[in-house]
Amino acid sequence: MNERQSSQLLPDLFESVAEDQCITVLHLGPVLPETMEYFSSFRCKLHVNDLFAELPLSFKPGDELTVQERMSSLVSFPEDTRFDVCLFWDLLNYLDQDGVVALMQCLRPHLATTAMAHAFTVHNIRSPQRDCRFGIVSDSEIVLRPRHHKVPEYAPHSQGKLKEWLDGFDVKRSVLLAQSRLEILLELRV
Amino acid sequence: MFERNKNKQTAVPAAPQRSQQDTPPASKASQASHSPATNRSTAMIGPSIEIKGTVTGDEDLVIQGKVEGSVELGAHEVTVGESGKVNADITARTVRIDGEVAGDIRGNEKVVISKSGNVRGNIVAPRMTLEDGAIFKGSIDMDPGEAPAKVSLAPKTSGSPSDAAPELDLKSG
Repeated sequence: MNERQSSQLLPDLFESVAEDQCITVLHLGPVLPETMEYFSSFRCKLHVNDLFAELPLSFKPGDELTVQERMSSLVSFPEDTRFDVCLFWDLLNYLDQDGVVALMQCLRPHLATTAMAHAFTVHNIRSPQRDCRFGIVSDSEIVLRPRHHKVPEYAPHSQGKLKEWLDGFDVKRSVLLAQSRLEILLELRV
Repeated sequence: MFERNKNKQTAVPAAPQRSQQDTPPASKASQASHSPATNRSTAMIGPSIEIKGTVTGDEDLVIQGKVEGSVELGAHEVTVGESGKVNADITARTVRIDGEVAGDIRGNEKVVISKSGNVRGNIVAPRMTLEDGAIFKGSIDMDPGEAPAKVSLAPKTSGSPSDAAPELDLKSG
């Protein structure tokens, strides 16, 4: 069943987009039809990379590759790619510290100077796992669609730890939502 | 928020309509299941057929078999059926993916990835539809080289929800 939820931070996500700008968006999750429909209405380039399909992305004894090496093989873009908007949504809840740091190392060279990001974390790290797929319905509305299968490696982090690990981004605003969900807007640290 | 690009859709000339008299029925496969009821002819690459090379032509195409190389039907519709496996770049007016594609896709009018579709590659199309359940990895360029259209920030209303949003700074979580 779909759940629709208003977003107070989505409008700010695109505020730095200049007139006549064709923006480049990174979507690090499964893309929903609503998201595709939404971005179809704009001049933009949308990069889709569903890292949930690659979980778990934590290092286990016996693994041949480090998390950084795996992340580098999964998250690569043409050299001149610069993202204006990154949609992490709830991905950060399923990566450990090494995963978050590795992701940022891969992304940092590809972030535009005014890059912004949007994510959902939790206010209380003991809040129960609620696996959803997210999509944009409108300028201020998000759709949540429950997943059919449990996603591995759920281990949400406090905002303080994420601020430390998301080296390159600062938390610009946070809004507490129902079920202890925390909507956060990130901006590139200059 | 930036403004919707109302001028983005350009007039794409319709594919030439051909009567059934133009082509001998024996040389043509069945009509594509997703094609509108028109007289346009449709060729089909059957499930047991494998092609390596460049596929070109002047009619719609349904691929149920395997294709490696490139598919270039700029003014026509290409459908990769559920059993189709394409390891090739595809250029067509409209591209519909029900099967698997590894390669870049250019849809001059539209690209559709259905719920059974699996695409790895980069897509260039002014309109894109993705059904729930489709698997896609790559990039989608929604602005395929048209004249710059006006895109601007939407005027902010005085009662913007963001104005009233509570500011939280939960440093310790």
